[in-house]
Amino acid sequence: MTLVAEAFVSQMAAAEPWPESATLYQPLKEDQILLSDCASSLAVQAYLRMCGLPVQVVCRANAEYMSPSGKIPFIHVGNQVVSELGPIVQFTKAKGNSLSDGLDDIQRAEMKAYMELVNNMLLTAELYIQWCDDATAAEISRPRYSSPYSWPLSNILAYQKQWEVRRKMNAVGWGGKTLEQVYEDVNQCCQALSQRLGTQPYFFNKQPTELDALVFGHLFTILTTRLTSTELAERIKSYSNLLSFCRRIEQTYFEDKSS
Amino acid sequence: MGTVHARSLDPLPMRGPELGVQPDDIEAPDIEHEPKQEVLENKNVVVQRVHIDGLGRTKDDVLTYEIAEVFQAKNLIDVMRRSHEARQKLLRLGIFRKVEVVIDTSRGEHALPNGLDVTFEVTELRRMTGSYNTMVGNNEGSMVLGLKLPNVLGRAEKMTFQFSYGTKETSYGLSFFKPQPGNFERNISLNVYKVTGQFPWSSLRETDRGVSGELSFPVWKTNQTLKWEGVWRELGCLARTASFAVREESGHSLKSSLSHSMVIDTRNSSILPRKGALMKIHQELAGYTGGDASFLKEDFEIQLNKTLFWDSVLSASLWGGLLLPIGDKPTNIADRFYLGGPTSIRGFSMYSMGPQSEDMAGDYLGGEGYWAGGLHLYTPLPFRPGKGGFGDLFRTHFFLNAGNLCNLNYGEGPQAHLKKLAECIRWSYGVGVVLRLGNIARLELNYCIPMGVQSGDRICDGFQFGAGIRFL
Repeated sequence: MTLVAEAFVSQMAAAEPWPESATLYQPLKEDQILLSDCASSLAVQAYLRMCGLPVQVVCRANAEYMSPSGKIPFIHVGNQVVSELGPIVQFTKAKGNSLSDGLDDIQRAEMKAYMELVNNMLLTAELYIQWCDDATAAEISRPRYSSPYSWPLSNILAYQKQWEVRRKMNAVGWGGKTLEQVYEDVNQCCQALSQRLGTQPYFFNKQPTELDALVFGHLFTILTTRLTSTELAERIKSYSNLLSFCRRIEQTYFEDKSS
Repeated sequence: MGTVHARSLDPLPMRGPELGVQPDDIEAPDIEHEPKQEVLENKNVVVQRVHIDGLGRTKDDVLTYEIAEVFQAKNLIDVMRRSHEARQKLLRLGIFRKVEVVIDTSRGEHALPNGLDVTFEVTELRRMTGSYNTMVGNNEGSMVLGLKLPNVLGRAEKMTFQFSYGTKETSYGLSFFKPQPGNFERNISLNVYKVTGQFPWSSLRETDRGVSGELSFPVWKTNQTLKWEGVWRELGCLARTASFAVREESGHSLKSSLSHSMVIDTRNSSILPRKGALMKIHQELAGYTGGDASFLKEDFEIQLNKTLFWDSVLSASLWGGLLLPIGDKPTNIADRFYLGGPTSIRGFSMYSMGPQSEDMAGDYLGGEGYWAGGLHLYTPLPFRPGKGGFGDLFRTHFFLNAGNLCNLNYGEGPQAHLKKLAECIRWSYGVGVVLRLGNIARLELNYCIPMGVQSGDRICDGFQFGAGIRFL
């Protein structure tokens, strides 16, 4: 978000307390949502639960087009509509809820660096596997993405999305990678996260931060989503502290209500 | 350039006096050789040959139907009248720039003494005409390129292409029109188009890409049209401050619909008619030929005109419509009706009436049922300035408009719907000046007094300017 937009959002947000009717929108859970969107949505849900802010999850087929930035998920709070984890964190901070207040400047910079790592590595890998791998695209991504629409619109939208993601992959330099290289990148990312986590319950001190929510969202979704091959999940399973981290967060924040 | 020789009749060889007549001058012809005058009106004649001179790519068979009637003429006045009608028929095909008729006595071996030859001298339109305009509109500039190919395959088919490239939006349309040879009123038309629209009253942006096929034919006194249309609609918010109700409708949908419309038009002109009536009934059924949208839409338009004393015209019109969703899904904002503005209920802002979103943005969401009525008295300008010329294009008009737009709950019966449409009627009255533009459009400048304004409606009391094709 630009500085001006941030200032605007903070001012509008600070005015009112968090309402009971806050809603989070994502694509249809059973038939439509894809791995990357599910991971982002789960990260935001985990973050809001960690802050203790109630939010209702609503599934809509056109959630992606409803979002002001075109990305999932987005929340509708009072009169505001905010999308993606970064702006949502800013938004809640303006309302006085923040998980990273206790960190000093060095830790905050580190947290931002790791969040960038997850976004650049894990999220990009998920997008690559979904749309650039022909087998996954044909069997899972295209049918799921186009399920709410009728023919021929379903085909047009699915191929349009695939071309858009492939163009983006080429732009960030992932166009030439093979699936093996992508799995290796994921492995390295998990190794870095695992090392940082060590034996601690959360990444920083004993309190969760937005980094924990983000990592949980991605890892948990990868572990529980069926893809054409289980290689991605296997890479994560080899790091036992990441597995127990996911289980811990699931038990603490998601077990009391069904997620 | 080729000629058309229509079939000639009885081949009896004889010669007759020389006569050369233009059908548009109804006056006694000059006789060059005979000293005495003949009374021509009741003289029996036989049309032996009808030529069409000046054809290039037009095929013969489509023209023989238009000129067939000329053969049945029995006397000279009849020949002139039928030739004139045939000339009108040839012109309405839209393939000739000019048609002239020459009636002459028959010559040659098989000429009868009372035989006539009728020749239509035609000039075909050019194969392709193009136009290029630049337009500046609401904060947007655009370049519009048009191409027209009349008479593409020789049987009065027409192909038009229009492309508009703007700073914000791009749109295009390609259309192919083919009449049935011999029956111009029966025709089919195929279109492919992409149009974009921005609707600030609803904070909505819409892009439609579609194909459609249309079949028109006359039945008794009416003109019927059957149409199938498949449209890919993309809706989006026009601004970040759009209401959530509009945001919820963003996204893609596919509409595949069959529609039928019937038009009876006995008016003498479509803009500022002096007499006659118009009735137009249109229905559209979507969802049974595929697509996501599923509804039945009905709307009608009635207009009656009568000339009163002193050159003034009284005109009454009534519009109405109903949108019935089929299945569980609610209706889409792009299918609903909108009301208000200088072309419907004057005194209210454009489409700013009726159901509205509840938050700050106050976007107008359209309604599923509406009716609107208007009563006008058109008089010539006071003191008739410029009479006989420019002043005749203007009219003063006094008007009374009323109407209502609301959503209907289809669980209740028709009685409840009628009651709902009858409550909270918006109406307005006023006076203004109307300018007629050609045969298609009109401009209005009115002083309006809106009444019955409900909370949330945006009004435009005082002076209001309107330009358009279809006015209430």
